Amino acid sequence: MIQQVLAVILIIFFLLRLSWQKKNNQISFSEFIFWLFFWIIACLAIVFIKKIDNLVSGLGFSGSGIEVLIYFSIFILFYLIFRLRLKIEKMEKNITKIVRNLAINEKEDKE
Amino acid sequence: MDQLFCIIPAYNEEDCIVDVIREVKKVINNIIVVDDGSTDNTYNISLNEGAIVLRHIINRGQGAALRTGNEYALSKKAEIIVHFDADGQFKADEIDDLIKYIRKGEADIVLGSRFLEKKSNIPFLKKYFILPIARLINFIILGIKLTDPQSGFRALNRKAAFKIKIENDGMAHCSEILSKSFYYKFKIKEVPITVIYNNYGQKFSGGLRILKDMLINKLLN
Repeated sequence: MIQQVLAVILIIFFLLRLSWQKKNNQISFSEFIFWLFFWIIACLAIVFIKKIDNLVSGLGFSGSGIEVLIYFSIFILFYLIFRLRLKIEKMEKNITKIVRNLAINEKEDKE
Repeated sequence: MDQLFCIIPAYNEEDCIVDVIREVKKVINNIIVVDDGSTDNTYNISLNEGAIVLRHIINRGQGAALRTGNEYALSKKAEIIVHFDADGQFKADEIDDLIKYIRKGEADIVLGSRFLEKKSNIPFLKKYFILPIARLINFIILGIKLTDPQSGFRALNRKAAFKIKIENDGMAHCSEILSKSFYYKFKIKEVPITVIYNNYGQKFSGGLRILKDMLINKLLN
């Protein structure tokens, strides 16, 4: 119970920080919405952790609700890293394209 | 006389590049050195030797440099393009062995192989361990069976150079060129070449990087 209260206080702190950042225009609107939903969902998950426990055991998981949430977040992290890698790879290709064009244009300008 | 170009990708090769350009010059007039962001004097030395020098402002890898050379050569109406290494491990007098098959129309792409007839002093571990694995991986992933999948000495006719657009900036371009040659059903020929190992070339870790690049590229395209 105390853990839940502490976690919710922490989330409220992050939410306040978020609104402060939004007020000072440090983050874009879409980013604000993303983090807002993220923390609200996290808050709900903590408040209704017993319901989640029941749900995951109903689904056949042996771990408790919080464990399944951690599995799930690791899965999402892996996915995001994968997406990031692909994005970096695409950027690398674009950099090569720019470098190539510069090289060829430089040569042709001299001719 | 058909338009013949030799592309030499070079990254910090100021010690070897002069000899390589002079040797190749005996066989091919149009030499394109792609200086791949060298921090030494490769660029100026190559210019002084009379090569056409294209400069990457930052290092992008051998595959990227070859493609830059290819695109430039094609824009200059190249009919045959030879890829050659800057570190002096190939012999320029063997270029004719490769391009004669293209001239005769017997092949669209000719690959130099270290494993046919001629003796190259390939390091033991490389010959019996690394390269067989490379062959096997090429066979499994790309379905290609050749004696030397990672050779950087090759000649392409205009059609092949035009079609094969190298996507792998790093060293995986060797396998990529092979797989695209098979994909486009080009006539491929392997020719024995001599390789002088001044240094070890690709290490095993380099091989793993090639594999990683190949897989990522499969995902991207």
